[in-house]
Amino acid sequence: MGTNLIRGHLEGLLLAVLVDDPGHGYELGQRLALRSGGQLGVPEGSLYPALQRLERLGLVGSSWSSVEGRRRRVYALTAAGRRHASEAARDWVVFSTAVGQVLDGLA
Amino acid sequence: MSAIERFLDELDRTLIVRGRQRLRLVAECRDHLAQSSAVHGPEDAVRRFGAASELAAEFDTEVAVRRGLAATVTNAVAVVGVGWSTLAVVHGADPHASAQVVWAVVFFGAAQVSAAALALAALRALAMRHLQGAAADVAVLCRRNVAALGFALLTLFAAAAALPGQAPAWMVLTGPALALVAGIAVARTRSLTRKLDADRSPVVRAPLVDVAVLMRASAGVRSAWVARPATVLMPALTIAVASAFAWDQLDQGTLTSSWTAAGLEAALTLTGFVLLGPALGLWSGLRVRR
Repeated sequence: MGTNLIRGHLEGLLLAVLVDDPGHGYELGQRLALRSGGQLGVPEGSLYPALQRLERLGLVGSSWSSVEGRRRRVYALTAAGRRHASEAARDWVVFSTAVGQVLDGLA
Repeated sequence: MSAIERFLDELDRTLIVRGRQRLRLVAECRDHLAQSSAVHGPEDAVRRFGAASELAAEFDTEVAVRRGLAATVTNAVAVVGVGWSTLAVVHGADPHASAQVVWAVVFFGAAQVSAAALALAALRALAMRHLQGAAADVAVLCRRNVAALGFALLTLFAAAAALPGQAPAWMVLTGPALALVAGIAVARTRSLTRKLDADRSPVVRAPLVDVAVLMRASAGVRSAWVARPATVLMPALTIAVASAFAWDQLDQGTLTSSWTAAGLEAALTLTGFVLLGPALGLWSGLRVRR
């Protein structure tokens, strides 16, 4: 799938994979790959600016934690982030249904 | 040098931002690549991570947006501080002093431009809190902040030049001191934005679109309001004329004097819009980018 197609939705995808558990960057990339069946092809480095944007928007919080002697930045949803994730999921269903109806039969 | 070290070296060379945020990003990238390398090998880990230049550009832009928002808060405090110093000068003026007309015009004109620019900057900053944001957006924000601060200082200067008198030095100097701090914050942000934004032609960021973003209006509404000068100018003119007329009436003015005040206000608003509009991102001027 085209990287540009994903970029506009990366924040929403990150919120979705943070709903169940907090996680660090690599872990979140793994969750994205696992849940998408490896179809999204997001450059893993782009997760970090996206996570910082989510922090700025107050949808995600982060803190350093020590795992096996290594310091890692762990990200977790805020209450606003949890609400936003639900709204984003609803908006996406409406949007993808509409696009699907327009493109139906071309694939 | 391993593929990972080469990547981190390139990232280090490409990033513009310095300091704590940069160290954090590099530390996170290093850790991510180490974990990925253990599974996929160093070459594949770097390939999956994407281009260092793209990551650096995206990260620098995000930092610029953050700095722009923080600078706007600092700037708002400074403009209020300069206003307070201006009031101190006005209250400390000799009661028998009478201001020259030119200074009076500069005083009232600059104060209004400063307030309008600050309101526009605040609106843009509030809208940007909900948007991804680009270097061009931060550039508009910086210009609005510079205008708000510059015209606030001009108001203070006009008051001091027009009205001789005595006011406590600390009260007069508080505003300029705050302005210095805000000026540094805005200049720092602007400097970063200029490095990120190669195409520096003006962009239009219509305030009504910012209102639409804050109201969470649909994309259709936003595009209907975008970049049409009349959608900004007409409400601004109406408000300016009505306010000037009402103010003069409340001040026991005659009908003639109230209409004169309203006409002067309309002329000032229109002049400000034409001269400062392109720099403040209100209309396109001669060159424009979306």
